[in-house]
Amino acid sequence: MLNITNLHATVADKPILKGLSLTVNAGEVHAIMGPNGAGKSTLGYVLGGRSGYEVTEGSVTFDGADLLELAPHERAAAGLFLGFQYPVEIPGISNVQFLREALNSQRRARGEAPLSGAEFLKIARAQADALGMDMEMLKRPVNVGFSGGEKKRNEMVQMGIIAPKFAVLDETDSGLDIDALRTVGDGINRIMRGADKAVLLITHYQRLLDYVRPDFVHVLSDGRITRSGGPELALALEAEGYGAVAA
Amino acid sequence: MSVLDLPSPKQEEWRWADMAALQSAADAAPHATGVDPKSLFLDMPGPRLLFVDGAFEPAHSVPGRVKVERIASSGDHPLGRLAEGEGWALKLASEQAEETVQIAHLGTGGESHVPARIAMDEDAVASVVETYAGAGWANRLTHISLAKGARLMRSVRLLQAEGFVSLRDEAEIGEAASLVSIFLGMGGMGSRIDGALTLTGKGAFAEMGGALLTRGEQKQECAVAVRHQNVDGTSRQLWRAVAAGQSTASLAARVEVARDAQKTDGEQSLRGLLLKRTATVNLKPELEIFADDVKCAHGATVGELDKRALFYLESRGIPEARATALLTHAFVADALGRIGDAAVREAFAADAEAWLEAAL
Repeated sequence: MLNITNLHATVADKPILKGLSLTVNAGEVHAIMGPNGAGKSTLGYVLGGRSGYEVTEGSVTFDGADLLELAPHERAAAGLFLGFQYPVEIPGISNVQFLREALNSQRRARGEAPLSGAEFLKIARAQADALGMDMEMLKRPVNVGFSGGEKKRNEMVQMGIIAPKFAVLDETDSGLDIDALRTVGDGINRIMRGADKAVLLITHYQRLLDYVRPDFVHVLSDGRITRSGGPELALALEAEGYGAVAA
Repeated sequence: MSVLDLPSPKQEEWRWADMAALQSAADAAPHATGVDPKSLFLDMPGPRLLFVDGAFEPAHSVPGRVKVERIASSGDHPLGRLAEGEGWALKLASEQAEETVQIAHLGTGGESHVPARIAMDEDAVASVVETYAGAGWANRLTHISLAKGARLMRSVRLLQAEGFVSLRDEAEIGEAASLVSIFLGMGGMGSRIDGALTLTGKGAFAEMGGALLTRGEQKQECAVAVRHQNVDGTSRQLWRAVAAGQSTASLAARVEVARDAQKTDGEQSLRGLLLKRTATVNLKPELEIFADDVKCAHGATVGELDKRALFYLESRGIPEARATALLTHAFVADALGRIGDAAVREAFAADAEAWLEAAL
């Protein structure tokens, strides 16, 4: 589904990704772990197409198409979802308005009919309920006044509503207490586990992986994947530290 | 009028005023504007008055309690004092309530000067919606006096495709009375929205604010002074300016608190958004406080759209132009959100939305 080959990227002319290669097939969950500054968030932003993150070498294909050629909104319509480490607060736009606009933009781009307000609200309510978020919160401005945990939960509600093919989740576990972690983990499994879906979990800690069992774990260090393995690699990292395992 | 009679940009209060645009609007020959007068009224019950080039048009009007009458020149405002002759007057007796009064001004060119008087007795309530469309120079002076407990909501749209609109408001707000005036300047015309609100009674409330949306080489500005003369008064000035192209939007807002006006609560928020770096937003917040027990909050910022917010919206599938429109609309939404009547508020929001769709 996703093929990253020898990816090099810079931020403000500083090389961050230095030859990263990774293949994620449909039905798989991959975790990318690594120390601070390894390039984890940069990978997420490059895949999402954020301006200022410049690809200088290499390629990324998504379902066979050149992902890097697409504008951010086209990547979303193609089925890519980026869960933010720091979800942005947007005063003046309600979650409901934002998500209906987002979903219908994607549907139009794919040649599908836009959803009516009632159809949309039904989907939104089901996802909010499943993730334990009060529907009233969805009527409030996007992430404004939300706690760290509520923002992450909101990312999952958004993912549930949009129902992407492929999710890149950047530090979705940070800021969550243990109950919220379980809810979010269950949400990822429910929304993204499937033969035609795949997930790339970017995380610093192993704890989310107790709830979302990855098929593959990779260690990202200095802009490259230095080691890959099964779930046991995450446990080894947690026990021994990045220095010992990734070296 | 001759150029010599116009205020000069050398005067501090007129430094951003585009008097050249005003003069050329005044000199413009009348021409068909293609505006259907009926389109200038919102679909709401209540009196309606249409003025075309400053003259009352009974055929399109249902004046109800609103009188069309001669009003003498008053005050010393350089533009406002020109507004004399036939105008409209709304006088409400004690506890009278008036449905939404709609006043539409359609210009075809040249200059027009219309005075207006709103006088409301104790506990009277009214809502007035004004719409400006067409061309030429529309110059208006509105005098408002609110007795104890009276409440007036005014919503004013500047939709003129070309020309210039200059508005001068002079208001005296009595004890526990409330005046809220919200403006949306979004036509292609130049504008000057000028206000002097005086809180004369104890516990009065005064608000003047809104949104100026400019594009091309257009210049719009507001210059508002709120004077607290009595105790326990509250005032709000919440203005948003969005400037595209090479346009200029200027906001000058002043709060004056007299020595005796203790317990004044004043809030002033002036924010500008540049859609292009070639555009200009000027902000001039001013506070002049002589009382010692007052609360006056003020903020003034100019910036571009938050790039992180833009990417967040795009990453969820919203195209860049639409994401920009949504964020810009959100930026002005709190200013237009002050309009009390939901139907009027929604109409103004839809106007702003249409402007954004066209400008982006």
